[in-house]
Amino acid sequence: MRKKTFAAALAAAAALTLTACGSSDNSSSSPVAEVSAETGSEKAATVLDKPFEKPDLVLTDTQGKSYDLREATKGQPTLIYFGYTNCPDICPLTMNNIAVAKKQLPKAEQDKLRIVFVTTDPERDTPAELGKWLKGIDPAVVGLTGSFSTIQGGARQLGISIDPPTKDKDGKVISEHGTQVVAFSPKTDAGYVLYGEDATVDDYTKDLPKLIKGQTP
Amino acid sequence: MRRPIAPALVMAGCLALAGCGGSADGSDAAPDLSVRSAYMPQPVTDSLAAGYLTVVNESDSSDDLVSATSDIAGDVTVHETSGQRMKEAGRLEIPAGGRLVLESGGTHLMFEKLKRKPKEGETVSVKLRFTKTDPITVEMPVKSATYRPTSTKSSGSSTHSNSHH
Repeated sequence: MRKKTFAAALAAAAALTLTACGSSDNSSSSPVAEVSAETGSEKAATVLDKPFEKPDLVLTDTQGKSYDLREATKGQPTLIYFGYTNCPDICPLTMNNIAVAKKQLPKAEQDKLRIVFVTTDPERDTPAELGKWLKGIDPAVVGLTGSFSTIQGGARQLGISIDPPTKDKDGKVISEHGTQVVAFSPKTDAGYVLYGEDATVDDYTKDLPKLIKGQTP
Repeated sequence: MRRPIAPALVMAGCLALAGCGGSADGSDAAPDLSVRSAYMPQPVTDSLAAGYLTVVNESDSSDDLVSATSDIAGDVTVHETSGQRMKEAGRLEIPAGGRLVLESGGTHLMFEKLKRKPKEGETVSVKLRFTKTDPITVEMPVKSATYRPTSTKSSGSSTHSNSHH
């Protein structure tokens, strides 16, 4: 965690100088390269001192069937992410990172892992739309939709704040995605590890075998 | 912990700006722009894709990225993420001697109404329009869905590959 703060300070410092050095001379780029080496070594997982209780969420899956999160994932290692399919940037990257990492697990472990994607844009993300999108990532991912207030409430129980989609002046829908992936332990069913947007395939690949056993990465 | 480090960094950041105020080679117009580190992660579906790049301004005159078009998309817009919310950005400044970084988690190009789904290994052509500089066409390689540049979240990410000059 300390390293993370350190890296952020670095990036900010570097960015601030952008406008200030218009007339300085060109030079080597090595200092910044060292910064990136630093960020690469940080730990992606945040282990919570006080784990989250699994939200009591009953939503609709991509088949249009009712899905009770607690019941369906009881005793299973589970990852949850809140996002939306009309999101070109962080949402597909996050989901693909997890999907690619999962494929590197032994088959039996792959089958144990539950990956749940909850839409933050239920109006556009119908079960069919969610299903189509997730098929392009990993068909085994559970995609959930339902009323926005239910989804928002579930997210809130995990410390994830999501505002409802709004429309801009051109009528384009602006949605929000959650900022974290929450991992739930198969032993306690509690959400005990968080991953931010910076978590990579390598981070998940390294941590998934532990998460599947309910161990701390 | 952070305090003593910051001043050293400010120096580093400034030094690291390749071509900070450096003279341009063979250009006549005032702003001297070049595009680096462009890529598109292979999208999930054939309806929506994102693209990232860095525009470097090696001159004493600022410019703005105004719009973009592409051969594979009916609509290309520049989007910025503020907090967890993505919205269309207006003109984006490329400061004199500075750069505009479009990167994952921040500002990005959003390709809509795709004519086909771009696949890893292909190249997508993107034309960038500016206030002052003539349009620049970028051949954007399509990378894997989980591709990340060697360094993210740092202004120096593109200095590693300055060959597209």
